[in-house]
Amino acid sequence: MKDILLEFKVNGQPKKVYVDPNDRLLDVLRDYLDIKSPKEGCGTGDCGLCTVTLDGKPVLSCLTFAFQARGKEVTTVEGLGNGKELSPMQQALRDAGAAQCGFCTPAMEIMVTDLLKRVDNPTDSQIKEQISGTLCRCTGYYPIVEAVKKIKEEER
Amino acid sequence: MTEVLMPNTLAEALSMISKDGHDVLILGSGSDVIPRIREREIEPKKVLDLSGLGSELNYIRTEGKVIRIGALVTVRQIIDNELFKGRLDAFLQAGRMFGGPQIRNMATVGGNLGAASSSEDLIPIFIALDARVKMASIDGDRLVPVSKLVVAKRQIDRRPNEIIREIYFEMPDESSWTAFFKAGRRNSLIIDLINMAMYLKLNIDGTKIEDIRIALNRVRGKTPERAYKTEEYLRGKRIENETIARAQEVLDSEVQLSSDFRASAEYRKSLDKVILARLINNCRDRIVEGRRTGN
Amino acid sequence: MSMEVEYLIEQLQKKAERGELLYIGESLNRVDDIEKILGKPIYTADILPKQTLYAKLVHSTIPHGYIRSINAANALNNSKVKAVLTYKDVPGINESSAVIPDRPLFADRKVRSTGDIVAAVLANDFRAATEASQDIKIEYDPLKPIFDPLEAMKEGAPLIHDAGNVAKHMKVYKGDVQKGFEASDIIVEGTYSTQFQDATPMEPELAYAVPKENGNILIVGSMQSPHITQSGVAKALNLPLSRVEVIQAVTGGAFGPKSDETPTDLGAIAAIGALKTGRPVFVNMTREDSMIMHTKRHPSITKLKTGATADGKLIASQAEMIMETGAYASLGVLVIVRAMFHANGAYEIPNVKNDGYLVYTNNTFAGSFRGFGAPQAFFASESQMDELAKKLNMDPLDLRLINMLRPGKRTSTNQLMDAACGLPECVEQVVAASNYRKKVKEYAEQKGNTRRGVGIAILHHGNALGPEGNDYVYVHLNVDRDGIVYLGTGLTEYGTGAISGLAQIASSIMGCKLDRFRIDRPNSLKHKESGPTVASRTTAIGGNGARDAAEKLRDRLNTVAAKLLDCMTSEVVIVDDIAYSSSAPQKRVGWNEIVDEAYRSGVSLNTIGYYMAPRCIWDEHTGLGSPYSQFTFGAAVADVEVDIDTGVYSVRSYYVAFDVGRAVNPRNVKGQLYGGTVQGLGYATMEELVHKDGRVLNPNLKDYYIPTSLDIPEEFVPIIVEKGGAIGPFGAKVVAEPPIVLPGPAVRNAILNATGWSVDSLPITAEKVWREGHK
Repeated sequence: MKDILLEFKVNGQPKKVYVDPNDRLLDVLRDYLDIKSPKEGCGTGDCGLCTVTLDGKPVLSCLTFAFQARGKEVTTVEGLGNGKELSPMQQALRDAGAAQCGFCTPAMEIMVTDLLKRVDNPTDSQIKEQISGTLCRCTGYYPIVEAVKKIKEEER
Repeated sequence: MTEVLMPNTLAEALSMISKDGHDVLILGSGSDVIPRIREREIEPKKVLDLSGLGSELNYIRTEGKVIRIGALVTVRQIIDNELFKGRLDAFLQAGRMFGGPQIRNMATVGGNLGAASSSEDLIPIFIALDARVKMASIDGDRLVPVSKLVVAKRQIDRRPNEIIREIYFEMPDESSWTAFFKAGRRNSLIIDLINMAMYLKLNIDGTKIEDIRIALNRVRGKTPERAYKTEEYLRGKRIENETIARAQEVLDSEVQLSSDFRASAEYRKSLDKVILARLINNCRDRIVEGRRTGN
Repeated sequence: MSMEVEYLIEQLQKKAERGELLYIGESLNRVDDIEKILGKPIYTADILPKQTLYAKLVHSTIPHGYIRSINAANALNNSKVKAVLTYKDVPGINESSAVIPDRPLFADRKVRSTGDIVAAVLANDFRAATEASQDIKIEYDPLKPIFDPLEAMKEGAPLIHDAGNVAKHMKVYKGDVQKGFEASDIIVEGTYSTQFQDATPMEPELAYAVPKENGNILIVGSMQSPHITQSGVAKALNLPLSRVEVIQAVTGGAFGPKSDETPTDLGAIAAIGALKTGRPVFVNMTREDSMIMHTKRHPSITKLKTGATADGKLIASQAEMIMETGAYASLGVLVIVRAMFHANGAYEIPNVKNDGYLVYTNNTFAGSFRGFGAPQAFFASESQMDELAKKLNMDPLDLRLINMLRPGKRTSTNQLMDAACGLPECVEQVVAASNYRKKVKEYAEQKGNTRRGVGIAILHHGNALGPEGNDYVYVHLNVDRDGIVYLGTGLTEYGTGAISGLAQIASSIMGCKLDRFRIDRPNSLKHKESGPTVASRTTAIGGNGARDAAEKLRDRLNTVAAKLLDCMTSEVVIVDDIAYSSSAPQKRVGWNEIVDEAYRSGVSLNTIGYYMAPRCIWDEHTGLGSPYSQFTFGAAVADVEVDIDTGVYSVRSYYVAFDVGRAVNPRNVKGQLYGGTVQGLGYATMEELVHKDGRVLNPNLKDYYIPTSLDIPEEFVPIIVEKGGAIGPFGAKVVAEPPIVLPGPAVRNAILNATGWSVDSLPITAEKVWREGHK
């Protein structure tokens, strides 16, 4: 029963879609709008891989009903850069070897972007705190922390 | 779930549930209920989404000594608010260990109270602060002491036509401190083995416990409750090793914990006892320190 | 000549003097991570075809029993449901086992665990499939289940499989262990136990199948070994291999289970569904499905006994390990082999008797997982070394220095260590980096509730498949008309960067820039079967295949370049896209000119490299011989802080040194040291998949705890030691698996050092520490 009209913005673009009450924001992004960077790693809110920003704040799109996004603005990794070249933040992740299997990488990018928006020169513990709700099984987190520190160094 | 109610004002919301409210699940952020709906643990027909009520229910206000927190305030907002840096340290301690950063951006105070699972960390703190919950309905507001809010696991004293509007409590004075501790098997995204919140007030000369409230997520069964006997024993006592040791024994006899695959009851009890001592000392130290530095 | 090229040539010459090549040993970026970072749709669930049906698997609700009936009528009444598959729908052989044919694809007669697949519901969307799956009525005649491997081994225990409850007994017998104990001044005995660990790749197992117009079936999925899925699907569908095209999609982590039987199950079920319905079928696995269904690390109970002289020389070691494999053997029959080869630790011990038993129970099944038997073996042996040191009143490090493997020493199987044994260097460097000696002294003085402690653990790790199979590989290289180099192989990338490493090796040899390389998606019809992508073998074995292919191409490129440069082929040097003659370096031609000329003159720039590792020889009855062609070595020091009252502890610092032979890409090697260690710290400190009455209690990421970023040590020092091995390209040894092994014993020994308490079972929870101290 796709009878709820959802009007919201995704990566700057206005979108209108009819959704089912049970659809999650994650379903709408992935299945209706073909935005595949948010991943479903658990579906229970425990892995953080479905992270997107909702009105500027990182949230879990698997724990958000689609209708809750009405009138709001969603940002995913697809909206972070120009989609072809790596941004400085993304290049720093690459240079640190922070994307191994890559499955957590989009969520990490959302969290890192959010941190750098608020904190200029984050410490190790601020970075770890910021990504502590996003699980990574490949890197042990160290290369991600290293990358974030490099981003700020480069910009200085 | 077949119908979603999306009010834009509290008045509208209250009228929507003034009649068949028992059919309706109130949705704060959804971070607690969405997995439960998907796993068919609950099967609500209708959902009332509060996300349109931000301008009415999202506030942290001080009125004299009273601090009022709107139901839609998020855990993140609490951590970031200067009001909670100091004597309300319990909130900071709980907030930092509440889910992960994304969950803290989502989870609301009202949702935490409404979910009423044993692991909702804010409830013990509100109990330790002796807070009151304000329920709104078209018939007007109704007050519920937070210590009476949770009637059973995942069940609260809320009538079908009511919505949690706010929770309020008095700011502890300069002779008091609040503390919180949660033990889990890792440092983020924690399922707690035990948690404990404490409000402690010293007497004028700082030698004795004038007042204390201790709340645990499990005292008897699975609801958050106060450790009244332990409190009673401690009230008026000097903070000395012997007193604490005796208080630990009282707590030991007062709490009834169960074992599961995460930890045994025996270990949980031992943690409770150690944490009791640490929180008492922590509160005392901070009060004394505050007096010395004049904060 | 530009400065840059001058510099490169100088570098090249320097490396050539060491017998190496330009890009070997350089931390270059991967060639395949840009699209991951851009969030492109590249994983299985991102690229589903239109009109795909979703399959939900239905598991057995009981751990042991006979299936009386399966009634799908109610589910089929649902208009969204297109089909329900059971064993009756399997056109070929209803079997999905890796080694011992003990596991049907769909349970038919009998169920043996709650992970057994009884049916699959195919519907228009996953929600409908999931809902309908609850309407499948299955009746069982329950049998008495058995969940304790020790009970399962007893006479008269209920039989889980007709051939008995012991799937494999593996032995290593050297010398005379009885006499060894008699000659010992000191004997220590202990029992060490380990738990089910879930690999938890962040992407669960997934696959979809598409029926092709030519009658072929296409399978796309998240997996380690497409050719294994191909042969499994062909068997289940009764199709020739040439009709089954399996493509590995970009895979979101794997760690072992994706090389075992589950990807074959998914591929086969998707394919059966696709052929039956004529539509693409996607077998979606939730996290819960994955954690119930895929293989986990085997729980183990190891009785270990060690004898030594009064001055600390090891004389005898006897190990009896019971490894629980759950309801099916999977690759466990090989896991127990590796465990027994490593069960006495990285020491020379003249008398050894190891007996390993792989035992069935009615729990969900265990199998492949990073480490492959080594974590259990070293937890026992390295823990016991510290108990022995305590009894000898000797520092655990000194005991290790006396006995550890060095060049000229022999392993438990009598294999001789040659000059490539870098264990002494690993120990030396990790001890220096961690300030071990100083800390031991300092920490001995501690009082109070918070105590620090240091613990050491060391290992050797037999490389690649060794006794686990024929270790061969093919690597395809194809330079296209634009000068782009396509690298294809049946080996797969799932996060380690090893396939990029193959490109790095090939580009070094061919002389073109690394960013010219593209990695083909592994395809069972396009690429030759290259054995499984397991045992960390991609660089050590696959690298030789890449080297062979690149050398073939280099010879052709050099011939073409010689023509263009008007010099002898032997004089041609190609470096960083530029070719010149060593006798007249001022004249140069570019990469594309060479490629153009090759295409014009009929020189094929498309080739296949091949490598097969030397056969490993050992005696099946005694286990003696040389089961591995080379070894990786490692040593770690953990520094912990323990809260005495609660048993809560944290690993403050972790230092680790690994002899990886030659690090083709040091950054990627460190990536494995970081990731493997943290996964090992999870195993050591928090991870435990719990079964109760045959059912998994915590098949979710809420209650199955893997480390978060706040759980990792504040300080982590990875050290690379390079003592070139016998077979890997440029001396490279394997690195992906061994780092997971050391945290268990290193943390356990550090807690012992801090508190005097011995926790002999994993995971070392705070409660276990507290119990040891409050006995």
